Amino acid sequence: MSDRILEVEDLSVTLERGGKEITPVQNVSVSLGRGEALGIAGESGCGKSLTLKSIIGLLPPGAIVGGDLRFALDREEPISYESADVHGHGIAIIFQEPMTALNPTMRVGDLIAEGPKIHHGLDRREARERAIELMRLVGIPSPEKRARMWPHQLSGGLRQRVMIAAALSTEPKLLLCDEPTTALDVSIQDQILGLLQELRTRLDMSIIFVSHDLAVIGELCDRIAIMYAGQVVEKGPVDEVFADPKHPYTEALMHSVPSFQQTTEKLEGIEGAPPDPGSFPDGCRFAPRCRYVRDDCATASYALVQIGERRETGCIHPELLEGIGS
Amino acid sequence: MTAFLEIKDLTVTFRVGSAIAARLKGDPVPDLVAVDDITFTVDRGESLGIVGESGCGKSTLARAITGLVPVTSGSISLDGGPLGKRRSKATRRRVQMVFQDPSSSLNPSMTVERTLAELLRVHKIVPRDRIDARCAELMDLVELPKSLLKARPRSLSGGQRQRVGIARALALEPDVLIADEAVAALDVSVQAPVLNLLNQLREELGLTVMFISHDLAVVRYVSDRVIVMYLGNAVEDRSTVDLFESPRHPYTRALMAAAPKFGVKKAPGESAIKGEPPSALDLPSGCRFRPRCPLAEEICEQVEPDLSGASETERTACHFPWEG
Repeated sequence: MSDRILEVEDLSVTLERGGKEITPVQNVSVSLGRGEALGIAGESGCGKSLTLKSIIGLLPPGAIVGGDLRFALDREEPISYESADVHGHGIAIIFQEPMTALNPTMRVGDLIAEGPKIHHGLDRREARERAIELMRLVGIPSPEKRARMWPHQLSGGLRQRVMIAAALSTEPKLLLCDEPTTALDVSIQDQILGLLQELRTRLDMSIIFVSHDLAVIGELCDRIAIMYAGQVVEKGPVDEVFADPKHPYTEALMHSVPSFQQTTEKLEGIEGAPPDPGSFPDGCRFAPRCRYVRDDCATASYALVQIGERRETGCIHPELLEGIGS
Repeated sequence: MTAFLEIKDLTVTFRVGSAIAARLKGDPVPDLVAVDDITFTVDRGESLGIVGESGCGKSTLARAITGLVPVTSGSISLDGGPLGKRRSKATRRRVQMVFQDPSSSLNPSMTVERTLAELLRVHKIVPRDRIDARCAELMDLVELPKSLLKARPRSLSGGQRQRVGIARALALEPDVLIADEAVAALDVSVQAPVLNLLNQLREELGLTVMFISHDLAVVRYVSDRVIVMYLGNAVEDRSTVDLFESPRHPYTRALMAAAPKFGVKKAPGESAIKGEPPSALDLPSGCRFRPRCPLAEEICEQVEPDLSGASETERTACHFPWEG
């Protein structure tokens, strides 16, 4: 018996681009407990979405996955799996843009009913009833009427709820969320986050939530992993990481977001741009943009170091950080 | 004294669906009112933020002021002179816009230099032999290396492209700069430098800035005053400090409650605003926020509240504004 549901060890993803091999995800190790919510944060191109897609096996053709992925459906030790084993049996995913992720030629009720039909062997009527039940669960008003509508007839918020209902239709134990609220308005984002939080407690489901928005992750998740240039640079409980970041990138990210709770004097931002996966710098990948950079950073090899009880950092000089608000 | 930029009773409507089909059926031709009777003024050198959710008409308002969509009724005037439907080259120059997505608003086949030089030449901003020098100055202004003048948009990063977008708007030496979601498409670490640049340019060049965004935090960072829009209406118009300290309109309060905050965990099933905005084609009677408003009473259903208050820049459109 184990309370771990997912273990990702030393994951790497290699793709071919323009005749050249690139490795946009490297040495990623994360684990997830039952009922836990993990946030993966980072900017575009940092490999957060690819990490998520390798877990459920939705990588583009030709991608080579290295490392070990282990998943436990029931309360047993997580074991290595093939992605086909978990489709519809334990892991489901929701995407950023519900309009492109939903099949425009299927009524939303049929779309949600597909999972129960294929994976649970329900007949058409039972599956339709199940779909309406799921739509009610995710808070879609008048589900009987809406089940007969097409995706284009629904608003962005309802479409996202439909996608969540479809993901839940096979009763997953782990829900992967790929920036599901980025395309939504704040008031709708707020509703969806409330819904995810509710579903998580009600269905005892684990969540991995990928986003570029630290505050959104903070509202939903227990633990956070910050990614930069294909690597995890910091891990730890959300509150502790935000209160006292142990990696310069985390600190810089927090300094670059304006807060509406207080007037900030001047935002700092980060000089330069994130590196391209084809040309990651040697040593610490954040070093060229880091304000604390030292000589040995250029040759430092990547390793996450335990710091404190539940924290890990990829920085070799965490003692240099001045802390938030300095 | 007249205000610098004056928007009076501005309404913009769009025709939706087929007029012929509607007439054949004997229905009235459907009109979508994107901006409904909005009045406000902006002082010279002021930075005004306009915030609201998608479909509230904030971008249409920006486009109407720039002259990119025709105004249905009402007037826009700048420095006492009208900004009408047909604008001369000289008046067009005075209001410029920075768009949301720099990758689709720059011509992919033109180098940065050509993009800028063309404007300088057509609008005769500087004599021909000074064009090269002026391009270089513009690059300095937006803090880009001059070597990028020869680059095409695809070889620039998102932040660099947006700086080119700003340089392009500034090339015409405008009085008013309108930034429509200018940082929404950028990564967080790149957003901050662009916001700082806009703040700095405004000070250096004495620009009047209208900053349009869905993001309260961004608006708070760059604006002196904020107008909150909901479904084509302005619902609150106040100084940034006052608005964030004591929002009066229930919609503003709800927006602030909905924005994600550090150090606050979401409770299961909790949300600040229930429901979704109604369709702009089928508006509720009275106050537009009524169906979602926690304070709504009978009067809200019958009377649409005016945007009014103690002064021009201290207005709220609510029957029961929060007094704090």
